[in-house]
Amino acid sequence: MTRFQRFPTAPARLVLAWRAAALVAAALIIGLLLALSGRNVFELAVLVLKSTIGSRFGLEDLALFMTPLILTGSAVTVTSRIGLWNIGGEGQFYLGAIGAAGVGLYMPGSPIVVLPVMAVTAMLCGVAWIAVPTLARAYAGVNEIITTLLLNFVAGLLTYWLATGPWRDRVTGALASTGRIHVAIPEFWGVVHWGFPIALLVAGGLAAIMTWTSWGYEVRISGANPGAARYAGMPTRARIIAVMLLSGALAALAGMFEVAGTVHRLQGGMADNFGYLGIVVAVLARRSCLAVIPAALLMALILDAAIVLQTRQLAATVVLAITGLVLLLIAIGDELAHYRPVTPAVRLPPSAPVATPKVTT
Amino acid sequence: MRPPPVAPGTPPVLQLVGIAKYFPGVIANEDVSLDVLSGEILALLGENGAGKSTLMNVVTGIYLADAGEMIFDGYGVQFSSPQEAIKAGIGMVHQHFKLVPAFTVAENIHLGWSETPRNASPAVLEARTQELSERFGFPVDPSARVEDLSAGEQQRVEILRVLARKARLLILDEPTAVLTPSEARDLFRALRAFRAEGNAVIIISHKLDEVMEISDRVTILRGGRKIGTWDTADCAPRMLAATMVGREVVRQNLLLRSEGAAPRGTVPELSLRDVSVRDDRGVTTLSDVTLDVFGGEILGIAGVAGNGQRELTEVLTGLTPPGRGTVLLGGAPAEPGAAAFARQGVGHIPQDRLHSALAPSLSITDNMVLREYEQPPIGGHGFYHAEAALELAREIANIAEVNIPDFAMPVRNLSGGNQQRLVARREIRIARRLLVAAYPSRGLDIGAIATMHRYFADLRDQGVGIVVVSEDLEELLNLSDRIGVLCHGRLMAVLDAAEADIERIGLLMGGRTETSETKMSVAEGAILS
Repeated sequence: MTRFQRFPTAPARLVLAWRAAALVAAALIIGLLLALSGRNVFELAVLVLKSTIGSRFGLEDLALFMTPLILTGSAVTVTSRIGLWNIGGEGQFYLGAIGAAGVGLYMPGSPIVVLPVMAVTAMLCGVAWIAVPTLARAYAGVNEIITTLLLNFVAGLLTYWLATGPWRDRVTGALASTGRIHVAIPEFWGVVHWGFPIALLVAGGLAAIMTWTSWGYEVRISGANPGAARYAGMPTRARIIAVMLLSGALAALAGMFEVAGTVHRLQGGMADNFGYLGIVVAVLARRSCLAVIPAALLMALILDAAIVLQTRQLAATVVLAITGLVLLLIAIGDELAHYRPVTPAVRLPPSAPVATPKVTT
Repeated sequence: MRPPPVAPGTPPVLQLVGIAKYFPGVIANEDVSLDVLSGEILALLGENGAGKSTLMNVVTGIYLADAGEMIFDGYGVQFSSPQEAIKAGIGMVHQHFKLVPAFTVAENIHLGWSETPRNASPAVLEARTQELSERFGFPVDPSARVEDLSAGEQQRVEILRVLARKARLLILDEPTAVLTPSEARDLFRALRAFRAEGNAVIIISHKLDEVMEISDRVTILRGGRKIGTWDTADCAPRMLAATMVGREVVRQNLLLRSEGAAPRGTVPELSLRDVSVRDDRGVTTLSDVTLDVFGGEILGIAGVAGNGQRELTEVLTGLTPPGRGTVLLGGAPAEPGAAAFARQGVGHIPQDRLHSALAPSLSITDNMVLREYEQPPIGGHGFYHAEAALELAREIANIAEVNIPDFAMPVRNLSGGNQQRLVARREIRIARRLLVAAYPSRGLDIGAIATMHRYFADLRDQGVGIVVVSEDLEELLNLSDRIGVLCHGRLMAVLDAAEADIERIGLLMGGRTETSETKMSVAEGAILS
């Protein structure tokens, strides 16, 4: 008598298998819906594959999408390791962009000097932006989800104000952006700039820190059980502060890479939901700093595919629908990975009594 | 005290026939048949993992039996939820109370009850609660908040809640674990009154003396199966223990030092000097405690829970800095902080291992290195060496004689007994000076308790000082060289075990002493807390 039973742990193998199945199911459902709305699914599929993983141009695009996603995904992942959620990646991204643009616009000099200053300034701005939620969390127990989230709107408006106000482009008169920044992160493969390998290194470095340092161990324990961290005398508050500030710096670095690598100016709305998509990436990565990379790849694929579909007159909101569907199916897959078939240790005797009918008393 | 006579032909209140419950790879219960008669108290005995809790979870509708039949008051029943069981008249009082701490007693009694009046104003609820309290003989204060009550009072609320729902069968899971001797006597009196009305009680317990005192019949489970049921009058504690464990239990004399044991130290390993602690609300929870713990001795701390044990434990292990007074380690002022205390050789087996000694969702390896992750070979220069960590985890599991198939498995998958063994060995490793153990045998069975006590005796013989906090006076008298008694945050006395007896300790626990001078200070302590 085999039946399925829920186990408290899900082995990585099963999670991967179920997630693969979830992605296939998502592709089938999307295909079916497109077919029902009278599209040529086969033609669309070929087009999507060609313009993502099937061509050099597509691969370059994927790398450009992945760069900020890896960083914002890492930003959320590091906080999740200590049991917190930084929902403010979007805002810290903007602050990073602002800091980078400020340096880039007004600091003369060679890129070798200006670029590192931009990166450091950007990260400091991100740190400053998350500082208030961090201290409120560490010293007053204020829920960081709400405070980080609300600051996103402030940061977004601040960017619009700077880009259309004090920093606006006075040369070309463009309405919603600053002028072009005179330095740029060099490209190393087509349009892909060095930000991409750096983002990969950052993800790898974070994974190493989390696994191979006593600091990472303390973060792990503090996140899993603050009571145990207190019992062992760990400086939990210091770890919370460090992790949240690091998170802000990571999201801000993504903003700097966008400004200096891709957009080359500060623009209102330029964060393009990368901060929020970082949450999706982190959820997909299940607290693993390395798994952020494949998760960012998946997210980049979705974004890229949606752009292709838009060229075929599909609504822009299709990206949200696909993301939602993929997340839903993957969540179901993750849950299913907890189930394994079990056979009772002992066979029931064939004469096992039949359950008596239910009597209400 | 015999149960009242029951009319012939009265069906048993509860009849279990061939109940079985299987979990993956485990037989939790198999072929358990059991009658609970009207007007009797049935004790259910068994070691940890013998299947007592699973069986009671089947009876109360938390689990569905894989096989077997349940007959309640003569009718076959099948409960698919605890609510149905309660409706039918089966009430369970769990070891961990299921009350809402922020609600008042009256609100807790009326929570989720179909008979709660629509007008649920505090006055109405409290009046109803008062009436229930008098009817069932469980005195409670209806307007008190549950979080402010002692464990014994909370238990009364829990029982009253079950009785108010017209339970015919009351199931109690280790009800006296959190009670003082006098609270336990009150409970037993109330249970006898409940029995006298023709109701039935199942009481789960590890304590044989209690079983002998309160029960009419005893059923013993072992390995998920029923071994037998006996009239308590025909039983002796020794026979019950042997039947429960499956072998003769040899009572070891733990006070006897082994040959070559380190002598009792002459310089205290740890001293408290006039230590006072206030909690967040400014209430004094520990006042003016002066205490020396020497190497090579076991110091027992007796007292009713909530009289400063937690604070004393935390001060002794560096978790809480004393508000006033000093803590000396090896004669010198101690470097503050739990981590520093651990480095200086103070081990700590805390009261609730899952909440503070372990991170349940993390791997066994992560949990085993909690005390040594900063030292070589695992730590050092900020690094964490996973292989050395695994090595240490293996070593601890080996000494603790816990068989672990996979060290990456979350530690919560282990049984409570195995978790406690691992924590104990982890802490004994670092306890060069002192081991502080709070309620080390709580929730463990006889075999596991014996193992734990053996650990302590061996450690004492190596010259380490041990502080054991417990409510079980038998345990303390068996183990300790000296016994300190806490009441209202004051250390009432420290007695040599030779001159201590249960009566005297019991009096001190209740705050009574021979001299009137201490009476004054007790009264003062009571006002402060």
